[in-house]
Amino acid sequence: MGELYTTPPESEKIYTLNLGPQHPSTHGVLRILLDLDGEYIVKADPVIGYGHRGHEKMGENRLYKQFLPNTSRMDYLSGLLFNHGFVLAVEKLVGIEVPERSKYIRVIASELNRISSHLLWFGTYLLDLGGFTPFLYAFDDREQILDILDSVTGSRLTYSYCRFGGVSRDIDANFIDMTRAFLKRMDARWADYDNLVSENIIFINRTRDVGIIDRELARQYAVTGPNLRACGVAFDVRRIEPYEVYDRFDFEVPTGSRGDALDRYYVRFKEMQQSCRIIEQALDHLPGGPFLAEKVPQKITPPKGEVYLAFESARGLAAYYLVSDGSPSPYRCHIRVPSFGNLNALIDVLPETLVADAISILGSIDVVIPEIDR
Amino acid sequence: MAKKVREQGEPIIQFALLDDIMNLARGNSLWPMTFGLACCAIEMMAAGASRFDLDRFGSGVFRPSPRQSDVMIVAGTISRKMIPVIQMLWDQMPNPKWCIAMGNCAISGGPFEYEDQYAIVPGAHLVVPVDVVIPGCPPRPEALIQGLLALEDKITRGEDRNLLRRFKRAGGQAK
Amino acid sequence: MKIQEIERVIFEKFPGAPLVRDETGKMGALWSVVVPVSGIRDVAKTFETADFFLETVTALDFQDTLELVYHFNCYEPKSRVVVRMLCGHDQVAPSICDIFRGAGWLEREIHDFFGIRFSGNPDMRPLLLPEDADYHPLRKDFGKVSAYRKREEIYG
Repeated sequence: MGELYTTPPESEKIYTLNLGPQHPSTHGVLRILLDLDGEYIVKADPVIGYGHRGHEKMGENRLYKQFLPNTSRMDYLSGLLFNHGFVLAVEKLVGIEVPERSKYIRVIASELNRISSHLLWFGTYLLDLGGFTPFLYAFDDREQILDILDSVTGSRLTYSYCRFGGVSRDIDANFIDMTRAFLKRMDARWADYDNLVSENIIFINRTRDVGIIDRELARQYAVTGPNLRACGVAFDVRRIEPYEVYDRFDFEVPTGSRGDALDRYYVRFKEMQQSCRIIEQALDHLPGGPFLAEKVPQKITPPKGEVYLAFESARGLAAYYLVSDGSPSPYRCHIRVPSFGNLNALIDVLPETLVADAISILGSIDVVIPEIDR
Repeated sequence: MAKKVREQGEPIIQFALLDDIMNLARGNSLWPMTFGLACCAIEMMAAGASRFDLDRFGSGVFRPSPRQSDVMIVAGTISRKMIPVIQMLWDQMPNPKWCIAMGNCAISGGPFEYEDQYAIVPGAHLVVPVDVVIPGCPPRPEALIQGLLALEDKITRGEDRNLLRRFKRAGGQAK
Repeated sequence: MKIQEIERVIFEKFPGAPLVRDETGKMGALWSVVVPVSGIRDVAKTFETADFFLETVTALDFQDTLELVYHFNCYEPKSRVVVRMLCGHDQVAPSICDIFRGAGWLEREIHDFFGIRFSGNPDMRPLLLPEDADYHPLRKDFGKVSAYRKREEIYG
């Protein structure tokens, strides 16, 4: 008689919960339909498309120069990195020679952008897990970077700084002083973050052995970036296919071993420190000279053909695939984004985890949904 | 003595001082709903973070649930797939409620609006009634603060009736 | 080396397949080969057993044909290759989502944008467009289009 009240019938065991498009911890507008058995997830079905803006169709209707603002708005946290990649792709297609100084400037700005993206991830991930203080510290450091980039590009978030053949504006002594002061400030900060977060027992319990992505799963879903490096695969486009002047710098590619959320955290943390190393080396070896190639036509008309350029965004391997038919607008402009595969892998990672762990996993893989939706 | 024309929607019985105090209370404790859709969401987060601190204006607590929030800040591009979601969230908010359209995309479609754009809605005003617009792509956090203060002016119906007017503001005055 | 092994296997299976090597470096890959529509599953299985991953799949809309472009890569330097497939506007392409699980979403996206149907993919709901969308935006007969060309005008 007691079972009538304590055991639910089989048909009522699975409950569908909508982790809706509007939720404090979905990074952007992501909707996941969760089938729950109690608190355990049985099936996870991400529904995306709520941020679809038609970038690829716009690419076919815009001149190459007019597509530059779009590039920053896809993954707005690594706006400069995507900008840089697009400019590199078009330069490769047309065959434009870039002066040395602007290569170094672009690398410095890109690495600053990468650090600011990881800092934002760090702040919001800990906010998702329930800690408010690291969010404030991380955003304070991020504001320093935004000040530096604002002084030279004119924008805080969506930059269109790179131009075909260089950059739009040269950096001056003020920029270099601010960057060096920032690097010095961050040297002391890493210890602060370690004390605040990395050794916190609650944080470790919520991230150790949570959301394990192993090498085989990562390969099936084309997971790249820090999520892949946390499984032990040292795959970083800056090392594997060096572009710009990355082959002249001495930096490590940090890897993890277990592929859980804690390893992903450590990989991103160490990547920030390695980016600081790259910036320091680039500032030490900054050459003089022009910052923009001369005689680059205003309306670029590349020869017929295609170009595929891969670069390392803050989230993984991103690539531009441009097909040109000899006219001033691309015939096809396809962007390969890293968060596509990263989110796709959740279909196999989320089952048999708790709902609270699902929030932790979703935060630790660092997806930006408008990048997936393009 | 001239008869004051009653505006549509105003209650018949008006308690001037109580009204002013209620509006002051509402205007200074606007609880926003986390409705960041795209890039402007990051500037909204930065406005709530350490440097630009929205909390000193009473708006620091971002409520995830529409039932607990006063103002919906539409930050980002609205895509066609998102229309029923926005309508549902707006309907779930209890009165009095306001809406701020933040960023060029929420005002008019922004950089994504062109002749045959199939994917976005060119402006939040086509979906929900908008009270304050904040232009920019993305607007700086200071601009978001100016927009919230403009909304406060609109709620308290102008500077003269704002009992606790702390300083003279340039711009953003609504009478 | 892994990539030469794969070249050999592909030449065995498709003897006459046109293979273009990347001389200028623009393709971002070692070579690009055109395989028939029925052969893509064998090619994908070869890559999967050789420890490659499917980087991206995209499609191109030409007047005479639709072209599917698969980029495969592995975790070693200089290993990206391009596999292309020409299928007509009404043809059904075989799905490789049981070989590479990540291909499921990529094929859904291509179906959304181009209308190419994939047989064998159990889940073909719209991915990026609204659920009731019946238009295919990236086709060159939809919306504002600057050019609609034949394949040989670009690839010769």
